[in-house]
Amino acid sequence: MTRKIPPIAHDLKRLYTGFLLAAVLLFAVCTYLTQFNPMVLAANGDAFWEFIKEDFLPPALPKASRIPGIFSSVLVTLALAMSATTVAAILAFFVALFGSEKVSPFPRFAKVVRGFATFLRNIPALVWAFILFSSLGIGTGVGFVALCITSFAFMVRAFVETMEDVSQDCVESLQAVGATFPQRVAQAILPSCLSGFLSWFLYCVEVNIRASTIVGMVGGGGVGLTLFSYIKSFRYDIALTIILLIAAMVIVVDQITGKLRKELLK
Amino acid sequence: MNADTVNCAAGAAQRPVEKKRSKIPVKYRQRNRFIPMFLAGVAALSVLSLAYLDIDWLKMTSRAGDIGVVFWDLAHLDFTNMDLILSSLVETVSIAVLSLLYSLILGIIFGMLAARNVFRLPWLSVLTQSFFTFLRAVPTPVWVLLMLVCLGMGPEAGVAGLCVHTTAFFTKSFAQSFESIPEETIEALEVTGASRLSIFMNAVLPAALSQIVAWAGMRLEVNFSECAILGMVGAGGVGYVISNSLQGYDYGTAGVAILLVFLVAYCIERVFVRIKKKFY
Amino acid sequence: MEPLLRFENVSKHYPNGVHALKGVSFEMAEGEFISVIGPSGSGKSTLLRAINRLIPISGGTVWLDGQAVSAQRGAALRQLRRKVGMIFQNYNLVYSLSVLQNVLHGRLGYMGGVKGVFGRYSEEDKQEALDLLKELGLEEFSYNRSSDLSGGQKQRVGIARTIMQRPKLLLCDEPIASLDPSSAKTIMDLLKTMTRKRNIACIVNLHQLDVALKYSTRIIGLSKGEIVFDGRPEELDDATIEQIYGTSRKNLMIGGERNDQKNSAHCA
Repeated sequence: MTRKIPPIAHDLKRLYTGFLLAAVLLFAVCTYLTQFNPMVLAANGDAFWEFIKEDFLPPALPKASRIPGIFSSVLVTLALAMSATTVAAILAFFVALFGSEKVSPFPRFAKVVRGFATFLRNIPALVWAFILFSSLGIGTGVGFVALCITSFAFMVRAFVETMEDVSQDCVESLQAVGATFPQRVAQAILPSCLSGFLSWFLYCVEVNIRASTIVGMVGGGGVGLTLFSYIKSFRYDIALTIILLIAAMVIVVDQITGKLRKELLK
Repeated sequence: MNADTVNCAAGAAQRPVEKKRSKIPVKYRQRNRFIPMFLAGVAALSVLSLAYLDIDWLKMTSRAGDIGVVFWDLAHLDFTNMDLILSSLVETVSIAVLSLLYSLILGIIFGMLAARNVFRLPWLSVLTQSFFTFLRAVPTPVWVLLMLVCLGMGPEAGVAGLCVHTTAFFTKSFAQSFESIPEETIEALEVTGASRLSIFMNAVLPAALSQIVAWAGMRLEVNFSECAILGMVGAGGVGYVISNSLQGYDYGTAGVAILLVFLVAYCIERVFVRIKKKFY
Repeated sequence: MEPLLRFENVSKHYPNGVHALKGVSFEMAEGEFISVIGPSGSGKSTLLRAINRLIPISGGTVWLDGQAVSAQRGAALRQLRRKVGMIFQNYNLVYSLSVLQNVLHGRLGYMGGVKGVFGRYSEEDKQEALDLLKELGLEEFSYNRSSDLSGGQKQRVGIARTIMQRPKLLLCDEPIASLDPSSAKTIMDLLKTMTRKRNIACIVNLHQLDVALKYSTRIIGLSKGEIVFDGRPEELDDATIEQIYGTSRKNLMIGGERNDQKNSAHCA
């Protein structure tokens, strides 16, 4: 820190001061707007713990006949995340090829492609789910499409960035050689970017495991819906068991993807 | 496909094929074996998943036309409920920002406890990290639902529920940033006899500051989109307006609300990209 | 006779307002070895990329082998491009592929779409690639990952790839800018001998004035997008150099003591 050349340190300091001021200002404005008072939480602390002790603990098992159903709902959530991510990744790969000025054979349309992806990405998955629910009805299929849309848009951006980072140079050289667009894709982009693409794919699987639980809660099916119905019927002790189950599921998936990612980037 | 090309290239050599093949380094082969295996595994799992989900594609495609109708209806923006939409949007943004700021402070404190190089108490780090790993594994809406049950409707439940997940996220990322600080720096201060806390405040925290700001920017995006969906599971905010008006076939209002959510999310993203450029 | 390459009043301005080339005209015959010199931002790189249309020009015409480059599209453009080899400052190899695969990329322009996509090169091509690697002293690395090579070796792979194209013209964009002095000398020597042996014309963008003086048969000096010098190396006098670089020749030679004799220019 002390070794920093003064002008840079000065610049950084101004930046940090700016952030601090912005944070304080935002804090004041938002607190005023929402009338949020952390003291309320503290004051309710006793009631809060009471509630947790009374209603949640100890975690309880549902009726034995329901248990297989719960496990199959976990499987639905996992299957939803997995298949939606894969389908989205395949689509995203082909679209991403046209999303970079440097790589696409139609550079003029690259901005349009990216803009489209930005639009899809910045609307949360659950909003997509609701829009689709109102046209297609409730069901796992709609959850699948909603997850597809957001992870597709996310991966388009991630893939375009990976391509521009990694393969811009070799694409140029193959262009100079006179290779066709499919040849450039197969001989330059795929070999150099594949591990990067797959690492983003794994990240998307992680995100989608959580997202598919949430989409499930509002009608996409799976373990989210099961949890939601127990909360609605005030069986908090059983709900706690399912929350633990969800946590275990997410942690296991995170561990597996973490291992795979390490292997991939080796 | 890669392995294939290499092999057929090797076959082209004038010399005996075996000799050429033995020259391919092992590392190269290993890598080639893992990626096809991985791809095959993913493909198999996805096909199995799709079969298991048993989605009624026919019914879905037969209704695909309705999607167009809904989008057409959404595009007929209806500004009559602008007051309600704006106030709920402001509430949503405020909750996102407040939960971010509270979690930032909590995250620094817990990140300090979770980092192995600050207090040098392995049991404390392991305990903190596994606790927050659990908190992180449970999706945010679940926490918000629980807070709603405990605290009743209002911004308190939203802020508290979002804080759980955000704090857990910050704790992990900040601990990582703290641990990436060179051991020598800390040792140099240790020999001066500085206390653990003052080492943290004077060396570790300042060095990790730029990363903390970057994490915070990234998290604001996530928090806003999570906050926007909270309404859909029963909490207030703009999500409630969207889900309510969609269910009440008031597509014009829903269209305006969705458009505003998009614009805010987009602005946050742009600002964040700017900040990132300035830092790296 | 029609020259191999002819620039007719070529200009290029980028959308951000930079005028990289302003009315550049020159001709090039077969077998010439031209060095293009000039400070950074003088348009050297744009000039090179205008030839194989990696960068589309905004005005004028580039004639290559009797055809107007800017008029070509699709398959015709690819056919034109395979006549023109290119060597890059950053080698631009696909590092996750083997050295041999990278060399074989030079044949892609000659192959049918599907065959090229799956990398099904013919046996003759593969043999030629191996022979070429042998000629360049890279035989033992044929099956290594290209990322494992040193900078000089990577550039030699780049040369092999472009020779595989059987080009009539070779474009070299700062081929030695990322190399240490001794590898730089190897690469320049290789470029000179390989092109002379196969009667390939060569245009090299260079930062190093001494290298340009030593190797080229002709030098083009660019400054702010305009040609300010075009002639034999011997004709390049101190006044012109000062006009090109905006500074005296003395300041350009890092060594300093060699500035009095033109022919003592070394790579290292």
